[in-house]
Amino acid sequence: MERVKERAKVLEIKDLRVSFHTRRGVFKALRGVDLELYKGEVLGLAGESGSGKSTLGLAIMGLLPRNARVESGEVLLDGSKDVLKRLRDYGSRDVKFDPRKNEKLIKRLNKELREVRGRALAMVFQEPLTSLNPVLQVGYQIAEAVYYHDPMRLVRRAISRNRCTQADLRDLMTTLKTKGEEALIEEVEKRNLRGLEEQILSIWRRQDIHEAKKEKLILSLDKHKLDSKDRLGISIYLRGLQRVPVLGRLAKDALIKEGYRLAVEILTYLGIPHPEKVVRMYPHELSGGMRQRVVIGIAIVNNPEIVIMDEPTSALDVTIQAQILELVSSLKASSNRSFIFISHDLSVLAEVSDRIAIMYAGKIAEVGPVKVIFEEPQHPYTKMLMDAIPTMDKTELKAIPGSVPDMRSPPKGCSFSNRCPFVMPKCKEMEPPMVEVSEGHKVACFLVGERK
Amino acid sequence: MISIKLWVYVLRRILILIPTLIGLTLLVFVLVHIQGNNLILAEYINPRLTGQARELEIQRLTQEFHLDQPVYVQYFYWLGQVLTGNLGYTNTPIYSGPVTTAITLFLPNTVVLSLFAALLIWLIGIPLGVFSAVNRDSPADQGIRVFSFTLYSMPIYLIAIALILLLGVYLNVLPFSGEVSPQMVAGLSWFRDGISYPTHVLLIDAILHGDYAVAWNAFLHLIMPSLTLALAVMAGIIRILRASMLEVLEQDYIRLARVKGVPERVVNNLHARRNAMLPVVTSFGYTVAGLLGGVVVVESVFDFPGIGYWTTQALLNNDIGGIMASTLLFGIVLVLTTLILDLVYAVVDPRIRY
Amino acid sequence: MEERTEEGKYSNLILSLKVFFSNRTAVAGMVIFLAYVVDAFIMQFDPRLLGVTNPNQFTYNFVNPVPQPPSSQYPLGTTYPGINLLQAILEAIRVDLGYSMLIVVGGAVIGAVVGILAAYVGGYLDELLMRFTDIFFSIPYLVLAIAVGFALGRSFTSMVIALIIVWWPIYARYTRSLTLSIKESVFVEAAKAAGASMVRIMFKHILPNTLPPVVVQISLDLGSVVGVFATLAFIGFIPNANTPELGYLASLGLNYVQSAPWTVIFPGLAITLFALSVNLMGDGLRDVIDPRRRS
Repeated sequence: MERVKERAKVLEIKDLRVSFHTRRGVFKALRGVDLELYKGEVLGLAGESGSGKSTLGLAIMGLLPRNARVESGEVLLDGSKDVLKRLRDYGSRDVKFDPRKNEKLIKRLNKELREVRGRALAMVFQEPLTSLNPVLQVGYQIAEAVYYHDPMRLVRRAISRNRCTQADLRDLMTTLKTKGEEALIEEVEKRNLRGLEEQILSIWRRQDIHEAKKEKLILSLDKHKLDSKDRLGISIYLRGLQRVPVLGRLAKDALIKEGYRLAVEILTYLGIPHPEKVVRMYPHELSGGMRQRVVIGIAIVNNPEIVIMDEPTSALDVTIQAQILELVSSLKASSNRSFIFISHDLSVLAEVSDRIAIMYAGKIAEVGPVKVIFEEPQHPYTKMLMDAIPTMDKTELKAIPGSVPDMRSPPKGCSFSNRCPFVMPKCKEMEPPMVEVSEGHKVACFLVGERK
Repeated sequence: MISIKLWVYVLRRILILIPTLIGLTLLVFVLVHIQGNNLILAEYINPRLTGQARELEIQRLTQEFHLDQPVYVQYFYWLGQVLTGNLGYTNTPIYSGPVTTAITLFLPNTVVLSLFAALLIWLIGIPLGVFSAVNRDSPADQGIRVFSFTLYSMPIYLIAIALILLLGVYLNVLPFSGEVSPQMVAGLSWFRDGISYPTHVLLIDAILHGDYAVAWNAFLHLIMPSLTLALAVMAGIIRILRASMLEVLEQDYIRLARVKGVPERVVNNLHARRNAMLPVVTSFGYTVAGLLGGVVVVESVFDFPGIGYWTTQALLNNDIGGIMASTLLFGIVLVLTTLILDLVYAVVDPRIRY
Repeated sequence: MEERTEEGKYSNLILSLKVFFSNRTAVAGMVIFLAYVVDAFIMQFDPRLLGVTNPNQFTYNFVNPVPQPPSSQYPLGTTYPGINLLQAILEAIRVDLGYSMLIVVGGAVIGAVVGILAAYVGGYLDELLMRFTDIFFSIPYLVLAIAVGFALGRSFTSMVIALIIVWWPIYARYTRSLTLSIKESVFVEAAKAAGASMVRIMFKHILPNTLPPVVVQISLDLGSVVGVFATLAFIGFIPNANTPELGYLASLGLNYVQSAPWTVIFPGLAITLFALSVNLMGDGLRDVIDPRRRS
């Protein structure tokens, strides 16, 4: 268990407070959230609607609407980048909050974060149909993600494929088979064929075809050469002329075309059949599960460190849900990515998370490793949630009496106090601090003592 | 992009067209007949005939159109005449003679006018609508909204007068009467009786004949009428585009595009605008109808010799031939334009291709 | 859209009024609109209040027919031949308003009947009716008005009939799409399940629910109709009209537009102001009816 502490923190949220100013009042959505995300883990974020879990996801991405006021707190990427600095600087001041001014800051924030979003941070929304632009081809939407972040990657891929020979491919094939992936990468470098390793490895790592077929595919890579229009486009790009009106179009077309090839690789990886056909299709022509895979593909294509998934399975039926969850598990296994998986469905989280954080009324109630949370929940709310999960051996459906307090005027003290069966007078006076009960397991409740 | 599905759709749309066109001819025929037989005669009789020749002609027409037979029979004979290109005679101050000739003389001018107006709408109106939505509530946006709202409420002739006063009289920058300044075309071989040859569009003919001074003059005369048309139509488009764009900008896929890291300019112009344009294209049917109707007013205010001017002249001179022919003409033009726009919509919105 | 119960109706009404009146531009529009209506009524019933003896005719002044600029005697100036613009405009408002109301309401009623019928009965009737309305849509409205008006003889009456013919297809289509969406509502299904007859459903359930959006559309269209009506008069539809009408009034000054621009501008402004006020008011009404819309 010591392992947990040694892992790097990719995301740290400190005392985040965000409120929404609407015509009906000021809703305190986040009231002091502290959370960490470690490298390579799946953090499940659970809570009812209104708990603030979606807002937290949006806040991490800096995707807040203009009436959202960041009152205080930090969202730190990799320990250094303070995502919400601009908004917080304005929101924390003691002046009347003007959404229009906030909107201007958001626009500037968008510019600032453009580098980060899609690169280090990616997000998957709940409804896959509305997440995709209905008038653009699916492949374009994936290719575009790469085009705006790492166009050189596309250039390298295209050029390397153009430049390589059958002999090169045979040698590289042998290197890969005998000495492994790292050796392959080295060899590719030596031969000045950077960009090729990605294409070779995406074939090699496939799990749906056998080795002979993989060999065949790899060895045929050199057959897909660039035509003259694409070569022109790429050379335009290399000369930095892509802003020139007509020429720039040629450059973009060439790179996007390469992006389509990359999209095919990604979709294959995500288990979509006939990816070459799918990339040219429009979102409404695909099923819900396929669409969600496309959206996930867009999220991971640039190898981001953190992927936030906001209820990715809630709009899908159960069988597809299972597939997506399996996908997420395999994504986690095959890379060092961290995921934040937001859901109201605890059973889903149980399957896929390493750690779980329970949110209630804008704060974290309890956080810890998944097994511990499920088997030894400490917070009364968590306990009642676990009790409420329908399982085979229960004969009664248990609900939690009462309802979430009005977030326009959250109660003094612990926000769960009006529904808690173990409520004490102290609970209504003071907000319980987060205490560490055991390794990596924290609870915010007066019932729980500090770890010795 | 082009697939079998698309062609099937095109074919279907064309087939639906035919009953509408037939209905159009029926409507015109009914209108002609509301006052009795005389109008057919009035429409088809050559106005230059008198006395004995006229009597003979009346008899001939009565035979040809079967005017002695019941109305529904007459319809088919009339329709036959129309389809073979015989649309009667028109008798107006600016032109007197066969209708078909009148159409060839005046239609090109109107086409040029409309196209130029459409170009202005595309270059000015669309960007304004997008800009207005993207910079919501900014002073520029509010200005644009006031501007388009006022334009929308102004009758088209007032827009014309306002432009005339502003640009023509007070600032005196642009001419506002006719197709060209008379002194520029006096004595030109290819310009007779107010008609230019060979294309009947002064601007194009002048270029073809190498007379660039006249061409420039003609171009200047083109600006005010098309600007008026453009402004009248633009007002509605800006409103629709702005509202549509605002709705689109709220959508998830726009959020996702930002999340992906697409630059804001591309988000607006590619992702948002393509979706926002859909309602604009849908309402284009009404827009074109308004444009064509506006042509009538604009051409008569600016004395611009096109189909609209001819129509007004026909109205004022009780010229049945002119009215009926131009009604048919406008109808056909509108139907065809709507068809083209529907097809454009099908190309632009991939969801429609079924 | 939901059915309102009897008790819910009043609180709904009060809420709607509150929303409407909080919209300042809509209220301004309504005030101006009411001013026009008041003028029309005065002209109709007791024109002497505004110093007018015969509101159906122009009062000429052949002694001084040349247009005069605005002065204390003639607050808006005069137009050819010697007509007091202020008086003429006030008289003309009644004419234009009256005819436009007639046109819009007439067109709306005919169109609504056709539209609801087509949408509710569906099938062949729907196809037939829609093809029929398509014919009217195939001609630009101004041209159609000219043709119809011409065929009926160039007078005010024929202009009104012509414009009703131009306008009803718009309402037919609009009410048809409204009905189509209402048709699918649960309460219609409930009524059917309870055994209500087709006619009863159409009148008791569908019609009342189409009314609010249609009323909004009517108020918005008033502005457009006045504009079209005036435009037709402007291009000279009616020969030698003596009746005050805003478009015709503007055309009188056309020959003097360079030396006396007010002759054309003021009647035009009267129309523009009316259209503006009606549009603002209509937008305000639309916000009340359909709160999802944010202007």
